[in-house]
Amino acid sequence: MSNPQELLDWIDGELGCHLDEAGDDWIRKARAEVAGGVDDGRFAQLLALASRQARRRAADISSEGRSRAAELLAGWDPVAWSVLDLLRVSLVLSRDDLAEESGPRAILEAFRFGDVGELCALARALQFLPQPEAYLWQARECCRSNMNEVFEAMACDNAFPAKHFDEVAWRALVVKAVFISAPLDRVLGLDNRLSEDLARMALDLADERRSAGREVQPLLWMCLGRHGGQRALDSLEREVAGDSVAGRRAAALALSRAGEGQRLAALAAGESDPQAAAALLAAQDEAPTQAAFRAVLDCPLP
Amino acid sequence: MKYFDPHIHLTSRTTDDLEAMAAAGIRAVIEPAFWIGQPRTRIGSYIDYFSSLIGWERFRASQFGIAHYCTIGLNSKEANNEALAEEVLNLVPRFALKEGVVAIGEIGFDEITAAEEHAYRVQLEFAVQNDMLVMVHSPHRDKKRGIQLSIEIAREMGLGMEKLIIDHNNEETVDDTLRSGAWAAFTIYPHTKMDSARMVEVVKKYGPERIIVDSSADWGISNPLSVPETAALMESSGVDAETIRRVTWQNALDAYAQSGQIDVAALEAEAQIDQTRTFLDNSVLRGQQPERSVKS
Ligand SMILES: [Zn+2]
Repeated sequence: MSNPQELLDWIDGELGCHLDEAGDDWIRKARAEVAGGVDDGRFAQLLALASRQARRRAADISSEGRSRAAELLAGWDPVAWSVLDLLRVSLVLSRDDLAEESGPRAILEAFRFGDVGELCALARALQFLPQPEAYLWQARECCRSNMNEVFEAMACDNAFPAKHFDEVAWRALVVKAVFISAPLDRVLGLDNRLSEDLARMALDLADERRSAGREVQPLLWMCLGRHGGQRALDSLEREVAGDSVAGRRAAALALSRAGEGQRLAALAAGESDPQAAAALLAAQDEAPTQAAFRAVLDCPLP
Repeated sequence: MKYFDPHIHLTSRTTDDLEAMAAAGIRAVIEPAFWIGQPRTRIGSYIDYFSSLIGWERFRASQFGIAHYCTIGLNSKEANNEALAEEVLNLVPRFALKEGVVAIGEIGFDEITAAEEHAYRVQLEFAVQNDMLVMVHSPHRDKKRGIQLSIEIAREMGLGMEKLIIDHNNEETVDDTLRSGAWAAFTIYPHTKMDSARMVEVVKKYGPERIIVDSSADWGISNPLSVPETAALMESSGVDAETIRRVTWQNALDAYAQSGQIDVAALEAEAQIDQTRTFLDNSVLRGQQPERSVKS
């Protein structure tokens, strides 16, 4: 597990500008109360009452803050965290029984009674906690949520799933992200957990979309890597010949990931969109990582 | 025009309704916890219902750019199942302090029984202790007496009258309600409550002070566009624009913003319609056109 004190220090640094004096006082007292031991009902109540101190607005974590976060937990990116997430995660980390039986019990109870914002914060807290197996069912449940915010809090920028999900859960997460157009490039560890099965599911989904006369989600092509064989290459060929600029760019990156980088120069020569052509040339030498797909969507991080 | 419908049971409404509401200018709603038609027999049913009010229904409304707030409480009808009611009363504090819960409600009287009064008092006490507002449902039958009693007990329990919203008023009850200092909400609901034409007359007679129009649209024959439609009738009947704005937007906002749970600045701003929103006030389009209400 991560060192809770280091994480709390990081949170304090980020919270600084967001809280007024009363809010600062409240969170200090609440953390001390949690650290001293509270019953499950009171713990859940404190998580709720945090919303009296801050709105669920973007915490706007600085780039230094994000780098420091990556040092504290490899891969973790707090880019989408809200101020309330900071408050609530700090309450979770203040528990002194996280390694005991009572810690997970209280946290799971808080999930059971959580509102949208609390569920997001709790989902974000899981990556830091010991006894991950205690939260596995709950983490999957978050991925089953119809509330996109909850799904994304668990699936994106979060180190938990790639580390702890089994194959079935992992593939369900990735394909759902494609399906609901969640930012798959921010599903941590995707590149390390590509597989034949995942590629097949993605290719099936692409076929379904085409049969229905709909555009394939550009990020779907991230799911292939070196998998999928000739079927993958055929499907990518079809995409690079298609009308969608984002689709062509993503498919070209995927071709490079599939070991077909030498084809990119030829594709670039025939590319009508100058930006897409430049991207193809850039991708021909080195197989792009999942992060490279963000540029395909041509939109900034939140 | 922008409208606030501070009483609607979206659990019972479809996405077609939400789409029509957004198109008609409804920017914010309050969904009070109430009876769902079929009596509940287990505490778990309440846990799931309350959870949906602070989770799923909020998300569903946000997909259409509608800010969704709710109230939590044990309704008067089900207060009469005394054993279960006791469990629900113990559950209410677990949900009532959540983000976006603007009041304890809708509570009050149905048949005016002792069990209803007990539940009402217990919840009033919680509201007073936690400095919360109270939304009172007034009964269909014996309404006048029900409202008088609701006000009397609330006052006796120490609730500030500015924190009390009495709903489902009509021509016969409005004087009592306004005289008490409470907010007087009117439900435009076909057949059993007010209709738009009568509402126009009430506003002409009493003016906009502390008067709120809502739809209470639910699982019965009801109209989720009651608020904008009544506003339109007021306009064509010569009611001035400022009065209309107050009874269909500002008064509800002033009343419920006392809870501290409404981000007024975000609400005054243009609605952000984004099915993949990450934050309540800050939508994040991610390049791919998100699909509305994808079932996953
Ligand atoms: Zn109602």
